[in-house]
Amino acid sequence: MFRKSLVFLMLLSVVIAACGPSGSTEAGPIKVGAIFDLTGATSDVGTPYAEGVKAYVDWLNGKGGVNERQIELISADYGYKVPNAEQLYSQYVTQDKVVVFQGWGTGDTEALRGKIASDKIPFMSASYSANLISIEEAPYNFLIGTTYSDQMIIAIKWAMDDWAAKGNSGTPKMALLHHDSPFGQSPWPDGEAFAEANGVEITAIPMPGGATDLTPELSQVQTFGANYVIIQNVDGPASLLLKNAQSLGMSDVQFIGLNWCSDELLIELAGDAAEGFVGALPFTPPSIEVDGMKDAAEYASSKGKSLQEWGVHYIQGWWTMAVMTEGIKRTLDAKQDLTGENIRANLEKIQNFDTGGVTTNISFSPTDHAGNKALRLFRVEGGKWTPISDYISAE
Amino acid sequence: MQSGIFHASYQKDMAFRHTPAQFIRLGLVLAFALIFPFLANNYYLTLANQIGVAAIGAIGLNLLTGFTGQISLGQGAFMAVGAYSSGLMAARLGLPWFVTIPLACLITAMVGALFGVPSLRLKGLYLAIATLAAQQIIEWLITHWDALTGGVEALVVPAPTLFGSAINTDFRFYWIILICLIGTTLFASNLLRSKVGRAFVAIRDQDIAAEVMGVNLFRYKLTAFAVSSFFVGLSGALTAHYRTIISWERFTLETSILFLAMIIIGGLGSISGSIYGAAFMTLLPAILSNLGRGLEDFVPAMARLIPFLQQAAFGLVIILFLIFEPEGIAKLWRDVKDYFRLWPFSY
Repeated sequence: MFRKSLVFLMLLSVVIAACGPSGSTEAGPIKVGAIFDLTGATSDVGTPYAEGVKAYVDWLNGKGGVNERQIELISADYGYKVPNAEQLYSQYVTQDKVVVFQGWGTGDTEALRGKIASDKIPFMSASYSANLISIEEAPYNFLIGTTYSDQMIIAIKWAMDDWAAKGNSGTPKMALLHHDSPFGQSPWPDGEAFAEANGVEITAIPMPGGATDLTPELSQVQTFGANYVIIQNVDGPASLLLKNAQSLGMSDVQFIGLNWCSDELLIELAGDAAEGFVGALPFTPPSIEVDGMKDAAEYASSKGKSLQEWGVHYIQGWWTMAVMTEGIKRTLDAKQDLTGENIRANLEKIQNFDTGGVTTNISFSPTDHAGNKALRLFRVEGGKWTPISDYISAE
Repeated sequence: MQSGIFHASYQKDMAFRHTPAQFIRLGLVLAFALIFPFLANNYYLTLANQIGVAAIGAIGLNLLTGFTGQISLGQGAFMAVGAYSSGLMAARLGLPWFVTIPLACLITAMVGALFGVPSLRLKGLYLAIATLAAQQIIEWLITHWDALTGGVEALVVPAPTLFGSAINTDFRFYWIILICLIGTTLFASNLLRSKVGRAFVAIRDQDIAAEVMGVNLFRYKLTAFAVSSFFVGLSGALTAHYRTIISWERFTLETSILFLAMIIIGGLGSISGSIYGAAFMTLLPAILSNLGRGLEDFVPAMARLIPFLQQAAFGLVIILFLIFEPEGIAKLWRDVKDYFRLWPFSY
């Protein structure tokens, strides 16, 4: 009996010892905090994103770092759980004194945004929810990807052009099939307003979580008579939808995916049902070679991997970290202290930052933290994402 | 040298604490709780606050599941009711937090009692499924009743203020949580020494026998649901004001199961066990993540595996606990105390 208690006490003391490390801020490496989803609900896309962020830091440090200073990335898996994200954020900011932070999901980024503002920690995440661009409510959040709202508006624009190009008259009918969550509903209000302003009839249909058959949702689409279906979901449900649509023979309906269901995994999961699927991709996938991927490709091959294996989310992580680093670099160049306030001010000075064709040029300003407002549409042709449009802006 | 605690009068038998050592320990714990925030940095305060909020919720659930024997999978949803009612009243009506939090607790108690109605007819696994339905219904209402809750959008709750200053730091909020936790603990411990508490335990041990003895099952089961939900609602309301931003994603079925795990590991039917369990389940991810970080420096090759090892360790610790100490941390602590009381002549 007592032995067990002793083991417990020992465990406790290990913990207390392990909770120790705390660092200094000045000189030495620049500390960047990060939380990744490597084991949770979104780990399929979270893992390549995390690898991209880590790879960029490692690559940059190999080159000598930012202005001769190394970057120390302090990161952990948070399993897509909000309380874990809060614990890790608090630990990294309080004990490790990180100056900037890389986040991941919509739920945790939203939950943290109040803390982020009061701690003055510039924060970038892979959530492109339009809620995060309000300067008053989220003054330290920066978005590298096109917001979900803008993605949907761009998708509608493209669909209208496509409709006219095919010799149809009038406006097409559209439907948004979305994940039933803040992430899923995020593009709807702005997308609906844009559609209505352009005379497009549009409806929103939620896709129930964990569904194994989406035929009921597709029959709603058919009843409504939609010509274009925009999907705001992740790969699993989106590929199921495409497969169901294929077996229903809905070849006259064009499906368009927003960024979290337009990647290599979707093609893998949906197989030939993905053929002809259009994606709104803010980040160019590695099936297209552009200058902005050279360094990442070299780095990946030096580790015995290839960009194709990691896919578009690796590139996404790489460039998100690169833009963050640009803010740090500009702060160092200006000989300012590396504080959250200074880094934020310098990020806001970034204009037309060139990502070598991976995204449209990134620009921030003190009144606008949505850095990326345009994207290209891609189509799955022969199992590969192939660009079908030039950069289309939501404005 | 003593061989046990013997009570010579009913008064002593009913006492809140039985031995001087218990009072001393209680005093030490209180003193520690009062000094702790002045010594700890924000990280430890965050952990302490998370534990405090979880402990209130766990005590609430333990009243229902541990003492009355009514299993509930609706914990997450009831927390959401507390969080949203308090948050909405504060955000939309501009009521102060010390009004919204008690109101939110009462609302949650009513909702809890409503969903407790099936408990009269349903027991065990069947009741679990009925409360699972409560979880799903409430979650659905929160995400789809846009006009009231704002739907799936996160709800921004104003930070509480007291005498004109905002309680927006971990340090300041610590005191609110501490007062609520002490209040909850006192109420729950005393409830169990009362007629109502004994009726709860009688229902848990054998409901038919309890009814034969004159315990009104319907009334006491509903009371259990209401009282339990009151504290669960308090836990939710505190979450809302502490975090200032809440969304439904925080209150899913996963939360319900996490709280069940807390009370099972801490000790079913034990108030202190609820607190130990809440502390354990809140600290375990932090411990594992820090151990993982230490391990990463030792063996960089393992770095990629560590998140998965952490997940496995989380499960393993829980399984080992259930095998070696099914009565939870509360029992473990009791064993330690017994050992030292009888030392060196234990038998």
